[in-house]
Amino acid sequence: MDARIHAGLCCATALALWADQPPPTHALILQDFEKRVMDYTAVRDRARSRLPRLKEGASPAQITHHERDLAAKIRVGRATAQPGDIFTPEIVGEFRRLITEAMKGREATLVHQSLKRAEPVRLNLQVNVMYPANTPLQSTPPTLLLYLPALPSGLDYRVLGHDLILRDAEANLIVDFTTGVVP
Amino acid sequence: MKGYLATLVLGLVVATGTNAPAAAPEVNLPLLPKSVRFAVIGDNGTGERPEYDVGQQMAKYHDLFPFDFVIMLGDNIYGSKDAAAFKRKFEDPYAPLLSAGVKFYASLGNHDDPNERFYKPFNMGGQRYYEFKNGDANFYALDSNYMDVEQMNWLQRELPSGSSWKICFFHHPLYSDGKFHGPDTDLRTRLEPILQSNGVDAVFTGHDHVYERLKPQKGIYYFVLGNAGELRPHDLKPSTDTVKGFDTDRAFMLVEITGDQLYFQTISRMGTTIDSGMLPKTAHPARNAAGVFFNPVPFSEEPRPDARQIAFHPIFRLAP
Repeated sequence: MDARIHAGLCCATALALWADQPPPTHALILQDFEKRVMDYTAVRDRARSRLPRLKEGASPAQITHHERDLAAKIRVGRATAQPGDIFTPEIVGEFRRLITEAMKGREATLVHQSLKRAEPVRLNLQVNVMYPANTPLQSTPPTLLLYLPALPSGLDYRVLGHDLILRDAEANLIVDFTTGVVP
Repeated sequence: MKGYLATLVLGLVVATGTNAPAAAPEVNLPLLPKSVRFAVIGDNGTGERPEYDVGQQMAKYHDLFPFDFVIMLGDNIYGSKDAAAFKRKFEDPYAPLLSAGVKFYASLGNHDDPNERFYKPFNMGGQRYYEFKNGDANFYALDSNYMDVEQMNWLQRELPSGSSWKICFFHHPLYSDGKFHGPDTDLRTRLEPILQSNGVDAVFTGHDHVYERLKPQKGIYYFVLGNAGELRPHDLKPSTDTVKGFDTDRAFMLVEITGDQLYFQTISRMGTTIDSGMLPKTAHPARNAAGVFFNPVPFSEEPRPDARQIAFHPIFRLAP
């Protein structure tokens, strides 16, 4: 066989194989999400280990200081954090798919009603910034929580209009967010 | 102009409630020995005059009806959350009750910081959701802001069998005829089967800034009381499920449980009784005569919609 034809066939085969390559599976994307979240919790845990533990019986001042100090230390630990560090495009795609599934059919009405009645809020979202104390936290519909990956203790998902926040509840800190994923 | 002024004055009267003289406290409860006695407030933490007025009424009624504790239905501290705010929005309005040794058990509303669970006077034991027992009644404070699988499993596990009273309290109503918010139907879809199958007797919620008592739903009594500090005047649009409503001033409730009876009295901040009565312990469809349940389905076995397709991803282990 002509060497050029052989090379051409090889190229075509390689291209075909590349084109047939399936996108990363849902499980792999979620594993990536898990890893990124665990990387964050490692930073959070290091920051937390340098502070007195918040215990029952804390005064309001101690609670406020703890949140502020923990947030400050986490900020130092992830000084270069950017939106999308955790919610990468692939992960956002997967979340969009899960949220769409959660809001199919009758569930859609329930989730929409729940969001509407939760007291929707607006915020200028920024990573590594504390969630403002004066702004209510919109409740997260339970159906959505059933579909989204479970989170380690101390982190939660919050919906803001059409956006989704990953929040550190102990530091009251916006860890990451993605816009427009909630229909 | 005259009409405008009249409207303004009427509006102020409705908003402040200063038109009516304070009524002398009158207790419509049996005050039986060994009964479980408590008060209920919701959406109270404004730090404004009406909250203080309700606190004073509660103290007056406490002299006649010595209740042991108060359950809080969320939005305990609106706005800023510094030390001064906790004093102005909680410690000062209820100072007479706190100094009398009355315990407050809080649940979290959407205006609360979840870290309020560490604040000792809220008696939350550092937990977003928790239970406590008083006499023959079990109380479950839930976090309706974030009703995740872990919390639902906890509730399913902790609700006891047997004939004791089971009372849940949390912020977002499963049933409400408040126009501004109304019921959280998604929360209802997930939570109601657990409450029903485990024989919960009564549910107290807030969020809508009105008072409403509803007809029992699937064997459970529902109260909305979100006007112990905030008020949304004329926000109630009574439905066929409404038994009693009140949306023109603030209110709190007194409750007494004795044997198979729950007595309640709802009082406005001017001291007027706006609702009262006795509710017998309900017979739940899922409960047999001995108080044992027929085939309760564990939450984890409940089918989820499209569970096979979407898969449920409990990818993280819960922290110990």
